Amino acid sequence: MRPGMVDFETVEATGLTKTFGATRAIAGVSLTLRVGELTFVEGHNGSGKSTLLALLANLIRPTRGSIRYGAHDADAARGRIGVLSHSPMLYPDLTGRENLALTAELYALSPDAVAAPIDALELRTFVDRPVRTYSRGQLQRTSLARALIPAPRLLLLDEPSTGLDAQSVASLVTALGTLRDAGTIVLVVTHDRELIRSVGGRHLRMERGRMLDEATP
Amino acid sequence: MSVLRTARVVFRKDVRVELRSFEIVATTGVFALLVAVLASLAFYLDPARARSLAPGVVWIAIAFAGVLAMGRSWAREREGDAFRMLLLAPVPRAGIFLGKSLASFVFAAAIEVVLVPFVGVLFHVDLVPLALPLVAILALGTLGFVLTGTLFSALSVKSTARDLMLSIVIFPLVTPALLCAVIATRELFAGAPLIELLDWLKLLAAYDVTMVTLGAWLFGALVSD
Repeated sequence: MRPGMVDFETVEATGLTKTFGATRAIAGVSLTLRVGELTFVEGHNGSGKSTLLALLANLIRPTRGSIRYGAHDADAARGRIGVLSHSPMLYPDLTGRENLALTAELYALSPDAVAAPIDALELRTFVDRPVRTYSRGQLQRTSLARALIPAPRLLLLDEPSTGLDAQSVASLVTALGTLRDAGTIVLVVTHDRELIRSVGGRHLRMERGRMLDEATP
Repeated sequence: MSVLRTARVVFRKDVRVELRSFEIVATTGVFALLVAVLASLAFYLDPARARSLAPGVVWIAIAFAGVLAMGRSWAREREGDAFRMLLLAPVPRAGIFLGKSLASFVFAAAIEVVLVPFVGVLFHVDLVPLALPLVAILALGTLGFVLTGTLFSALSVKSTARDLMLSIVIFPLVTPALLCAVIATRELFAGAPLIELLDWLKLLAAYDVTMVTLGAWLFGALVSD
């Protein structure tokens, strides 16, 4: 762990509610995530999965409720959270390598920190091209590399298998298992039941902004 | 990471992106030159009166081109939701504000380096003896403009009526800086000595300090949900 960075072994969301105008996206969700645990959240479109992920990522603030990252609040934990979202969060005019190097700089890491994710996700063949020229799958892999650069304790993935070919999905399955075993708290929002079955883990279901009981895939 | 280091990282990123295409400087620079040409054709009467029109032309061109430039700069942040890369990182929001402001200042300055001599030629103003005070007025006025623009452009990341809101919000707020800059430039072109311009420069500097402080304080709240 980098000096000055906080660490935590649980993420505890209590009574989370998020409204956008008159729309209630999340209604009183409570959830505890633990280190070395891989949690899948499934649900229909509009069920509040992505909003839950954005709240846990500290990208938006809850209307009510709170999130604690061990003994820390969201601002303190920010440097230990990695996020893969629907959108790549990459600058299209920069190359993949430049985007990853920028991420490393923002997390006060050495430029060498980009090498491991580039190798692990097999980005070498295209990482020096502008992101604007990437295919959907290449974007997804580069975005995942961006999320992994800070060596996150909490990794939040929104539909990570979207746009990936069978070989890349197999790599993703292996990567998720490795991350879980290495002590990363992983939360995956997905519709991909095959991914859930392949990796295994805790399986939650959301409906109309509420968390239902744990489900069986 | 410190505010200044964050600002440096964000500034370098914006400059690197711009160097790939020169899209902001080229398109808004051409637009600013076009404003100057049209103004010279529409308002030109004789060399003496042309000289009195030059300050207005300079600042109108800078203001319009500046709004366009900042709109484009923030469109880059919205594309692919790239701005969230900055928001996710454990960096002070004030550093993001300063870095983006500084980059916008450099882009505006690059346009002014061409625009102002061009206006000098079109409106018969010998800028060489006025160079130092003119640079000071341009620097302080432009800084105030980009600080205000950057602060409220951040709202455009969340708003759907982005460009409309940007123009509506920025121009009233930046009016004090534009007024001071236009009047100081007018007095300078009319032959006022530097000592008579000092009050305007102090007002511009005070505006800039206020906007740096406000920006560093408010930017985080404006970009958060």
